[in-house]
Amino acid sequence: MSCPHAVEVNDLTFRYATRGRPALRQVSFALSRGETALLLGPSGSGKSTLALCLNGLIPHLIEGEWSGRVIVDDLDVQKTPTSLLTQHVGIVFQDPESQFCLLTVEEEIAFGLENLALTRPEMEGRLQLVLRQLGLEPLRKTRLDRLSGGTKQRVALAASLAMGCHILVFDEPTANLDPRGTAEVFRLLADLKASGDYTILIIEHKLDDLMPQVDHLIVLGRDGTLVADGEPRQVLANQAETLRREGIWLPQMTQLALKLDKAGLRLEPIPLSIEEAQAALERQDGRLLWSTAATGPAVPARQAAPPGGSPPAISIRNLRFAYPGGQEVLTGANLEVAEGDFIALVGPNGAGKTTLALHLVDILRPPVGTVSVLGRDVRALSPLELTRQVGFVFQNPEHQFVTDTVFDEVAYSLRARREPEQKVRAVVQATLEEFGLERLARANPFTLSQGQKRRLSVATMLVVGQEIIILDEPTYGQDSQNTARLAEHLLRLNASGRTIVVITHDMQFVADHCRSAAVVLNGKIALQASTAELFAERELLTAAGLARPPLLELSLRLRQRYEHFPLLWSPSQFAGLVTVPATSAGGESKG
Amino acid sequence: MVSGSPSLLAYYERDSFLHRTNPGAKLIASLVLIGIVAVFFDPFTPLAFLMLAVLMARFLGGIPWQRQARALLPYFPLCLGLVFYYSILYRPLPGQSLTPLASVGPLLLTAEGLRVGLSIGLRLLAIISFSQAFIATTDPVLLVMSLIQQFHLPYRLGYGALAAFRLLPLLETELSAIRAAHRIRGVGERPGIIGRWRQLRRYAVPLLADAIRRAERVALAMDARAFGSSPQRTYFRTTPLRPSDYSFLAGTLAISLAILLCLSQLGLLHGFLEVPR
Repeated sequence: MSCPHAVEVNDLTFRYATRGRPALRQVSFALSRGETALLLGPSGSGKSTLALCLNGLIPHLIEGEWSGRVIVDDLDVQKTPTSLLTQHVGIVFQDPESQFCLLTVEEEIAFGLENLALTRPEMEGRLQLVLRQLGLEPLRKTRLDRLSGGTKQRVALAASLAMGCHILVFDEPTANLDPRGTAEVFRLLADLKASGDYTILIIEHKLDDLMPQVDHLIVLGRDGTLVADGEPRQVLANQAETLRREGIWLPQMTQLALKLDKAGLRLEPIPLSIEEAQAALERQDGRLLWSTAATGPAVPARQAAPPGGSPPAISIRNLRFAYPGGQEVLTGANLEVAEGDFIALVGPNGAGKTTLALHLVDILRPPVGTVSVLGRDVRALSPLELTRQVGFVFQNPEHQFVTDTVFDEVAYSLRARREPEQKVRAVVQATLEEFGLERLARANPFTLSQGQKRRLSVATMLVVGQEIIILDEPTYGQDSQNTARLAEHLLRLNASGRTIVVITHDMQFVADHCRSAAVVLNGKIALQASTAELFAERELLTAAGLARPPLLELSLRLRQRYEHFPLLWSPSQFAGLVTVPATSAGGESKG
Repeated sequence: MVSGSPSLLAYYERDSFLHRTNPGAKLIASLVLIGIVAVFFDPFTPLAFLMLAVLMARFLGGIPWQRQARALLPYFPLCLGLVFYYSILYRPLPGQSLTPLASVGPLLLTAEGLRVGLSIGLRLLAIISFSQAFIATTDPVLLVMSLIQQFHLPYRLGYGALAAFRLLPLLETELSAIRAAHRIRGVGERPGIIGRWRQLRRYAVPLLADAIRRAERVALAMDARAFGSSPQRTYFRTTPLRPSDYSFLAGTLAISLAILLCLSQLGLLHGFLEVPR
């Protein structure tokens, strides 16, 4: 091929016909053949739009105003029919459930080949090739709905590869997956990269495991302009502040380097992976100082749970549950959550986390004597009493919207309890202000942004003064600013004495904010412990498909070299260990 | 999330003569059989065809007795209700006299009514049974392929239908999540028509929002794989009409006619609204 670039984007501006402002503004970059590029940007910055511009769905099928030029594999996208472009550029989409239209693996992979009007023997040949390449042979006739999320993404990739694509776009491929599925997709990416045959563009937020694969970093800003384009280490070293202002997730190792830099310790080169950070810190031997006395469980002290005496906020004893005609989901779960705790329920998809939580809010009815809330059996409480004590925030905030304005949404539970309207107004006003929604009081809940919807759904669950609040995957689909804001609210609620239960896959969130954690595995609570204790359980974490947050992993590795290195999980904890620039070239500096 | 029992009226994956038969041919046969059951008004025709349906499903379709029974069982109360309803409330046609069988208080049970009730109840069971045999032995993908390949259904429509079919279970899950979320908000399920209507409206907004988003995503994913991008298209799974399919159609017709002939010879066959002697 004549051109060294697999993809060339020149001064691309695109505005959807239905929208006022362009989704992309004057974007230019190029991808070399065989390189792996990471595309970052806050929500709404046009990342997915850019993906569709590469395979020609924009402008051929989605209308709008287009200017500039996009070349893929020497084809001008604007002048090439999609039937040809789709044989060069393949996309794996975010939602594994809604990117298929057939029922089994082989049918789905063959679908694209049928559209290209290949003969039956040609289809069979290509099918066998990709099934072998991706290790899908044993699943050839399997129904798609029986596959795990990670494997579904593998099938979606197989479908693109079968069509002959060598430019592959992954649009948040792990956003809907549990940690195990995420690992499966990342392994797949590593294999693709290792083969050297593919040019890859990934849109992704889980950066720490991915960074070592990335050759090229492209960043879009809130307004759809190109903010950065270059070698990842350079971009992160020079433009980290810009990226953070845009609300973009940065790799933990980068955040660490930035924090340490501020504290007077410069890591060079700026680390992208745990291994690099470890090496860089070991080179700076003597610049981190910690006291051997503070080890043991090695958790920086957090506010202790209130002293005993009062009944636990939640008590679950030997809870079993099976859906009618289905498999047993809960097989004797025991859990006791102290009042004022901030606890995470973690575990693989399908382990029973949500099922367990639904027993606390009368959606699923436990047998008498198994589940109690604040000392009272949930079966003895009326639904109204129970919802006064326990709030439940669903994974999809839209599910719980029942009125037409934000104000009414918050007022709903109060009005349902026949509170005087004057009091309702006062409480709603205060709640809206607390959650930063006061200017949206008249808006329809469905028109809010993702972050606003999430905050509204939390706000509605608190107005009657619930003591316990349960959140199902609250950080799902949120960018870093929204997540930080939500965490702030939750910590404030927790500080005021409320018990918080978070169902999540986000282990960094667990490490940063939760006091304790319960691992749900095969319908039982496999462990309930402080978060520090949880992260020390290597085998259990593996069994539950959970990963340690990257910085915690780093501190554990440092501990192998420095006997008493503490367990740390946030950049500022590391920064707290930095000593004033050493006057002498000190050796070991354990306190 | 909250529901989850597998439907009994669903594809039953295995290999059998009926599974291998062309779905279009099966569809025609099923419609003919259901048509026959619909136009005869005596209890014996539906009974005979109910037996035919059950035997075909078992021996040509490989569907176990137990599964068939479980699929039919939920309809038994309805059928029994129909039998009693007609037994008691049947009004004679002009020139017809009624034969009382028993009386319970003011209610009179008549032989003519029982006959009509049985004919309707059995007819319902026979139709369900044929439908079950068809659905359980027909891979939905092959049905659509056959409709496209033999019946000239536009392929865009066919694949659209398949994509929608895939989305249905997801929407069901979605609906149960919405119901649960609303219950947690303290929105009870209201009795009465107005309550029902309001509730439906409240569920409809998030459900439709979700359905539209999913449909858009599927459409985009299909387009990204060149769907409809060239006038020609080939098929990975083909559903040719084979000699065995013609034999199946001919056999079904022959057996149906034979049954009807027997019944008429025995004087048991009666058409729609025909007054029995």
